[in-house]
Amino acid sequence: MAARLGGAIFVLWAVASITFFAVRLIPGDPAQAVLGGPGSQASPEALAAVRTEYGFDKPVLVQYLAQLGRLATGDLGRSYALNQDVGPLVLDQLGGTVLLAVLALALAWLLALALAAWSTRGGTVAARVGSGLEIVAAALPHFWLATSLIVVFSIWLGVLPPISTVGAAGLVLPVLTLAIPLAGFLGQILRESLLAALESPFVLSARARGESERGVLWTHALRHASLPAISLSGWAFGSLISGAVVVETIFARPGLGRTLLTAVTLRDVPVVIGVVMIVAVAYILMTLLTDAATRLVDPRLRSE
Amino acid sequence: MRRPARPRRLLAATTGIVALGLLLAGCTPAGPNEPAGEPRSGGTLTYASGDAEPSCLDPHVGGNFPQALVSAQYLESLVSRNDAGQIIPWLAESWTPSDDGLTWDFTLRADVTFTDGTAFDAAAVQANIAHLQNPTTLSSTGYLALGKVKTVAAVSPTVVRFTLTEPDSALLESLSQPWLAMESPAALERSQDENCASPVGTGPFIVQSWVKQNAITLVRNDDYVSPPADAAHAGPAYLEEVIWRFIPDSASRYAALQSGEVDVIDNAQPDTIVQAKQSDSIEQLDSPRPGAANRIELNSGQAPFNDVRVREAFIRSANVDDAVSSLFQGTATRSYSALSSVEGTAISNAALFDYDPAAAAELLDAAGWNETDADGYRAKDGVRLSVEFPVSTNQSIPAEQSVFEQIQATAKETGFEVNLAPMDLSSWYAALASNDYDAVSAPYTKVGPDVLRILYHSDSIVPAPSGYFANLAQVNDPEIDALLTTAARTTDTDERSSLYADAQNRILEGFYLLPLYDQQNHFLLRGDVQGLRTLPTVAVPTLYDTWLNR
Repeated sequence: MAARLGGAIFVLWAVASITFFAVRLIPGDPAQAVLGGPGSQASPEALAAVRTEYGFDKPVLVQYLAQLGRLATGDLGRSYALNQDVGPLVLDQLGGTVLLAVLALALAWLLALALAAWSTRGGTVAARVGSGLEIVAAALPHFWLATSLIVVFSIWLGVLPPISTVGAAGLVLPVLTLAIPLAGFLGQILRESLLAALESPFVLSARARGESERGVLWTHALRHASLPAISLSGWAFGSLISGAVVVETIFARPGLGRTLLTAVTLRDVPVVIGVVMIVAVAYILMTLLTDAATRLVDPRLRSE
Repeated sequence: MRRPARPRRLLAATTGIVALGLLLAGCTPAGPNEPAGEPRSGGTLTYASGDAEPSCLDPHVGGNFPQALVSAQYLESLVSRNDAGQIIPWLAESWTPSDDGLTWDFTLRADVTFTDGTAFDAAAVQANIAHLQNPTTLSSTGYLALGKVKTVAAVSPTVVRFTLTEPDSALLESLSQPWLAMESPAALERSQDENCASPVGTGPFIVQSWVKQNAITLVRNDDYVSPPADAAHAGPAYLEEVIWRFIPDSASRYAALQSGEVDVIDNAQPDTIVQAKQSDSIEQLDSPRPGAANRIELNSGQAPFNDVRVREAFIRSANVDDAVSSLFQGTATRSYSALSSVEGTAISNAALFDYDPAAAAELLDAAGWNETDADGYRAKDGVRLSVEFPVSTNQSIPAEQSVFEQIQATAKETGFEVNLAPMDLSSWYAALASNDYDAVSAPYTKVGPDVLRILYHSDSIVPAPSGYFANLAQVNDPEIDALLTTAARTTDTDERSSLYADAQNRILEGFYLLPLYDQQNHFLLRGDVQGLRTLPTVAVPTLYDTWLNR
């Protein structure tokens, strides 16, 4: 447990450091960015005030150490561009993204399970169709899928809104956009391991015991076959958050992805680090969760 | 209640003719080109902006275009400008400059209160100017516009006196800008965070709430009395509520308009404008921004553009007309002026910007760039004729970036190597500050021709402590300086226009810049949105006269 905690802290430190230097060492003047972006003409007095206020006049190493010091005490600092503390800002936007990611992960699992179950039982044609669909789905880029879904469901059919709405209708297209490619990935892995499991001796013995085909599939083979896909879900959750950058921008949804994109454009270092730290924490938590889920599904791991 | 036609805009005229043709052909259902009847009160309009979400809704802080767009719905200025470019009354009823031009007395409307109940009076104006001039406000645009204002004093509750350090012929134009709008002094006394979230003005709408990255909700000000002199009606606005959203992606923004989720979008890109022309349910409003035209500035402060022959050669080698008409698909009109076409003082001279590769080659030969290197570029003493061109991807839309690529391709035929470097905003500022550029395109919005002084007076070459300077062409010509300085002090309209005309001719003839087109500012709206217009100050939309025909 201690090793795990140490590992987590190391990951967080590394994430904070890499992000800080990656963003700060690109040439550019954050003070200009702070003062307003396109169309604003910053006065020298305003720039000087901003430099002092944010410490841009100090050496980068000093700024880095100050940043780490603040992070260690849980203070994510203050956004250059948004005039807000980063902690509340990021937490405010966290909900929307987590909701999106969790729904997309759940839907991806549903789609992958359904496709895998159907294609492993439906003979060669079903297997080919299933694997073809999975490959296509996995290869779909988010921006293309999002735009296509908008064209079909918002413009042609007019049944779903292309942007976020107060109700749940606005969630459908963004969730589909994230879930479909992920379902492709999960489906590929599920189907392969399901096929392997269906060939295993324990399935043979289950069949010999007179278990129904459905029972064989859902209680024995699938349980076995889902293990690799479960461990993949930790990675998938991270990829969903990065997918959120595209999806939230296209569907005009509030969330961490959009916050991150704006912050990177404006060189808003505290917000970039804040979002990346939160995502890193989510990643670590998700890895712990998938570990636990693996233990739950696989009794062999529990005895160790 | 039809939106007024703008005959001087070729594009708008074309749209009108097309729309008329459709009407005659009988294939347009009840659209906004038919009389829409009497304005109706009520309803919610959803506006979707493609501009960045402001970090502060008080345009005194910083002062950029996204702030101006939204704040024009709840804040008002002392004066405004009409379609003819004349300054008209708004919160100030009248004004009188002294003979020496150093003192201006503004008589204010006596019947106006801010939406928090605070009275609008001379003391309020004083507090606003003080707020803008206070360095801790971090005002950029408003602060610069008030550069010549020394003191502001209340003569009486309704008369406020501005005392200047020197005559300022741009004072009224400066005060008409949304970045210098009047806010409740009581509200300004709150913390900056609070005032940024809910600034209080005298406008037709009130900021009710702001959910970051989602929407700003504005509600009608039922006690509203102070429309500008060119408004179409009096009394409160028609719309009950305005939802102001931010949809950064151009395609989603248009999809949201098509599906009816939103009623008005800004930053319409050429491809969507062309699509929208084929739609019966969507209308277009084209309203170029004032100040400078979009243009490429040639850095005359260093080689190769310190030689006027090389500047002219570059301009002659660039086939801009074809690039603009193909890439903007007819939605932008080529400019041959340093100023926006909405500025009455703009001088346009197409002959200076003819595409003429043969003349360009001769000029380069004469300037000594007569070698050809291994890659086919011209060179002089073994040095290649290269043009470093940093491009701000935040400020140049995709179509504009493509125009630059076309210029790069045509200039190559004459032997220029144009190195386009797409950059984010901070890197772009840094490239300019370190003088790592030969050509650059930077938008500049300001009401009136005084923008010429900011862009082409040699004072603007001196970098601020920030390293930034506005005279990106690095024009350093005592004669231009003298013309611009005198014009800025000359309040006589005709004399001022003639001084600005002389200055523009000299700037254009010096081949310091390559004009492209006006700063594009296209809006698309649902056919049932009536009475939407832009304020002729900085071309931001005002929803005051707008109503929904549904």
